Amino acid sequence: MEPNDRLSLDAWANPSSSCNGLPRKMSLENPSFTNFNLQQQEQKWDDTSILNYGIRIEPPFLEFNQASESEYLLSSTCNNQPKVLDQEDGLNNEALQTSKSLDWDPRTMLNNLSFLEQKIHHLQDLVHLIVGRKGQALGGHDQLVTQQQQLITADLTSIIVQLISTAGSLLPSVKHKLSTGPPNGQLGELLFPPLAGMNCVPQPQHGSGSVAVQPQCVTGSKVSDQCNQMDVTGSFGTEQNLSIEEHEMKEEEDADEGENLPPGSYDILQLEKEEILAPHTHFCTICGKGFKRDANLRMHMRGHGDEYKTPAALAKPNKESSSEPVIIKRYSCPFAGCKRNKDHKKFQPLKTILCVKNHYKRTHCDKSYICSRCNTKKFSVMADLKTHEKHCGKDKWLCSCGTTFSRKDKLFGHIALFQGHTPAIPLEETKGPSVSCDKMDGNEASNKSGNINFSFGSNAGSGAQNIIEVKEDGDDPASYFSPLSFDTCNFGGFHEFPRPTFDDSESSFSFLEAP
Amino acid sequence: MSTQSTPILSALTEDLLIRVNEKLVQDSDRKIWRLICKEFHRVDSITRKTLRVLHVEFLLTLLKNYTNLHTLDLSVCPCIEDGTITLLLHRVDHSMWARNLKFLNLSRANGLKFSGLEMLVGACKGLESVDVSYCCGFGDREAAAISGCGGLKELRMDKCLGVSDVGLAKIVVGCGRLERLSLKWCMEISYLGVELLCKKCLELKFLDVSYLKVTSDWLRSIAALSKLEDLAMVGCPLVNDVGLQFLENGCPLLQKIDVSRCDCVSSSGLIALIRGHNGLLQIDAGYAISEFSGNFVECMQELKNLNAIIIDGARVSDTIFQTISSNCKSLIEIGLSKCTGVTNMGIMQLVSGCVNLKTINLACCRSITDAAISAIADSCRNLLRLKLESCNMVTEKSLGHLGLHCALLEELDLTDCFGVNDRGLERLSRCSRLLCLKLGLCTNISDTGLFYIASKCSQLHELDLYRCMGIGDDGLAALSSGCKKLRKLNLSYCFEVTDKGMKSLGYLDELSDLELRALDKITGAGLAALVTRCKRLAYLDLKRCERVDDTGFWALAYYSRNLRQVSNHNVELGL
Repeated sequence: MEPNDRLSLDAWANPSSSCNGLPRKMSLENPSFTNFNLQQQEQKWDDTSILNYGIRIEPPFLEFNQASESEYLLSSTCNNQPKVLDQEDGLNNEALQTSKSLDWDPRTMLNNLSFLEQKIHHLQDLVHLIVGRKGQALGGHDQLVTQQQQLITADLTSIIVQLISTAGSLLPSVKHKLSTGPPNGQLGELLFPPLAGMNCVPQPQHGSGSVAVQPQCVTGSKVSDQCNQMDVTGSFGTEQNLSIEEHEMKEEEDADEGENLPPGSYDILQLEKEEILAPHTHFCTICGKGFKRDANLRMHMRGHGDEYKTPAALAKPNKESSSEPVIIKRYSCPFAGCKRNKDHKKFQPLKTILCVKNHYKRTHCDKSYICSRCNTKKFSVMADLKTHEKHCGKDKWLCSCGTTFSRKDKLFGHIALFQGHTPAIPLEETKGPSVSCDKMDGNEASNKSGNINFSFGSNAGSGAQNIIEVKEDGDDPASYFSPLSFDTCNFGGFHEFPRPTFDDSESSFSFLEAP
Repeated sequence: MSTQSTPILSALTEDLLIRVNEKLVQDSDRKIWRLICKEFHRVDSITRKTLRVLHVEFLLTLLKNYTNLHTLDLSVCPCIEDGTITLLLHRVDHSMWARNLKFLNLSRANGLKFSGLEMLVGACKGLESVDVSYCCGFGDREAAAISGCGGLKELRMDKCLGVSDVGLAKIVVGCGRLERLSLKWCMEISYLGVELLCKKCLELKFLDVSYLKVTSDWLRSIAALSKLEDLAMVGCPLVNDVGLQFLENGCPLLQKIDVSRCDCVSSSGLIALIRGHNGLLQIDAGYAISEFSGNFVECMQELKNLNAIIIDGARVSDTIFQTISSNCKSLIEIGLSKCTGVTNMGIMQLVSGCVNLKTINLACCRSITDAAISAIADSCRNLLRLKLESCNMVTEKSLGHLGLHCALLEELDLTDCFGVNDRGLERLSRCSRLLCLKLGLCTNISDTGLFYIASKCSQLHELDLYRCMGIGDDGLAALSSGCKKLRKLNLSYCFEVTDKGMKSLGYLDELSDLELRALDKITGAGLAALVTRCKRLAYLDLKRCERVDDTGFWALAYYSRNLRQVSNHNVELGL
């Protein structure tokens, strides 16, 4: 009896820890950790003992049905604890996948909460039942009682598991703000050591996944629920995620310039233009629906039949081969003559499909995305546009050729590179004097200042030209320097400029007017 | 007039007159020439290449007359404005004067803005050198205007506080043939600007980046200047040995380096620099290196051509003098101001080898005695400048030796040497070429001593008698009759000086700088007597001259048209 008690206690105790573990995982939702997150999951998937969590959990339940040996049963129930954890972990993983793209949705949460409530009631009933049985068991037949208890415990276990997973799915939205977790390290330890310990436990390899036990089915359906959710909510997050990924890939594409794989050491794949430009890269073989991610496709496949619901089918494929030497895949651009095309003399392969896509779009496609702010910059990759828009309008370093730069050093690098280019100086700084040059002709002045905000080398020259013309107009210098002419001349819209400059110049010439 | 001058003019053709005119060096002589007759005046105006204008109101007429100017110096008439330039260019004979102009000094012309500069630069196509130093208001637009001089070879922009990298980039791109550039105190200039400079202006021979935030990166860029001969980076606190190591392998033609007051430079950095440049002519490391290692002294042996070394403020030993003496035979200048460890022995060793020394600075080397000075006088017959400030052990004997052997001596600083007396001055007066003599705080001299100087040293330009209490009106009378070329005189705290002395100072036609601080015996009448005659007076210090009243200042205001600065606080003005 004691093991059972302990089980229920542990089952309560552990979830709390694994629930705490969730924020940690949620914190991985943070885009900057995307890679890390994937890596973690992969690691877990790699571990076959974890990979088969669904399978390994079955034997005890099978045993319950057969009810062959109490001793074995006992041991297996003892083993149950880590397995429950294991399962939880798997579920959490999926919950994580869901919540990764899950934004705050109060309705979903409400559903989850009512689900929780229902389950807790269920659990209460069960515990009551156990309490009742305990009283009976004092005088009853040992074997029968144990059997019944085992059944109850199994039910209990499955309910707890569901509770935990549902509670977990509630967490990301709540914990979102607290997710930058100081307890990261601790929780990691809490989560992983039990797993490692569990791996050491010898597992009876009985049945395979073909026999699906009830609780298992329940969890399965739960997962599919979540998957549906994901499909719905996916549309919120995917674009953002995609842009992030593309951004990363962009850097990757740049970074792989230096990679020197000897030719022949890798397989070259060349996607066709249509494939590259297709919005989705994963297509359902049954209905033809396209997906941006294989994971989404796998989730989708489950709608096509039970054979796609097995954990093996759901698991990320072809990771078992990691023990074998992996054949490096590199990609070739389908555009003939391109340096990234495999027929090019100095062929430089692309690292990933995303690299291919970005490369192809950037180099061989029209730039159809136009920045709405400046209406001049065009991009073929949406992420590039978004990156540009972040900085658009902030380019304050202007070259005489009209090119703008957001950074001074970039401008100076540009100037160093090209003959005759100089930095342009904004006119605003010294508008006062510039107006005084054009003072005779208000129209001209306003034209000029309305023209461009920057004056380039040549423009500056024309400014001087202006003055010369002006001077020649005024034949009599005396009248030109007399205060009257200042007052009568048309200033256009430039009355706000300080008079003192004119007054000064006037006074300094007074001596010259003397005959 | 024409009938009178015909005989001489028929004998002397115009080209002969021009040749004669060219022989005149002194301004005063040329002035006399101009006043002889119209023809002479005309000859002067066609031959005149250099013009330094004191008053903006004469600029128009002057530029009309002088059409062959190469050099126009407007540094002492800073009232120039954009409008002035417009007028000069469009009213004066279609700006003939601007055509041949090569050197233009616009120092302190703060009234000038970019539009005026643009016009000026546009008219003066042949400009090779422009000085806009101390135009603190100059910014990038002004720099852009200057960049219109495509042929510019020299540009001084000291303390153009508003010029940033952008302005420098304008100049760098516009004036690619720049050979000499001073960016001293252009505080806005950063690495980016200098990096661009070093990429574009490959002809650069002289670069001054003093007081800027020069880092090792700067020096790495500067090292790429293959024609650089002279690099000045005074007071750059970020320059260190790493930076100097970049120079070791760069700037192959480097001849002069100035790292004075660069606190982070040590002798190892200089060693690296010297290793790379055995042909160095001039090293200025004053107040940069506190101590010289043995390696440095060894390194010095390589510098066979060294002309000048300044190591002010360092701790030195006799060995370094020995090394310099036996290796740097062509040394002309040595600066040892405030060096500790300078002994008579060391100086004797130094001068035994370096007989060509012309400039020696021993200021505050307090253990120096007559023996060292005698050795200097004996060995360095070509000595021109000697600074002995605060060398208290120096007595009349030293001055006797200097008078005997150093006939060429032009500048002598004896400030705070209380061993100097009238007898010493008598002996010193044999140095008849003396131009500058500083006797501040020499309390043991009197009118008698000054009389000797005045009677023999007729070339004297500058005399400092600060706190020489023994000097009175008689000395000044002697001075005004003997030293007619005196331009700069300091009489502060010479309490004996009265109005009589002021009157005699009035006979010094060339006097331009005069300090009369705390002379409480002079009155307004004395000042008036002075200023009615000294037309050139430009700087006048009247602080704490309590008895100078309004009459003096009225006279000052009326007569001293060239006055540029008057210091007169503590004077109660009745204006």
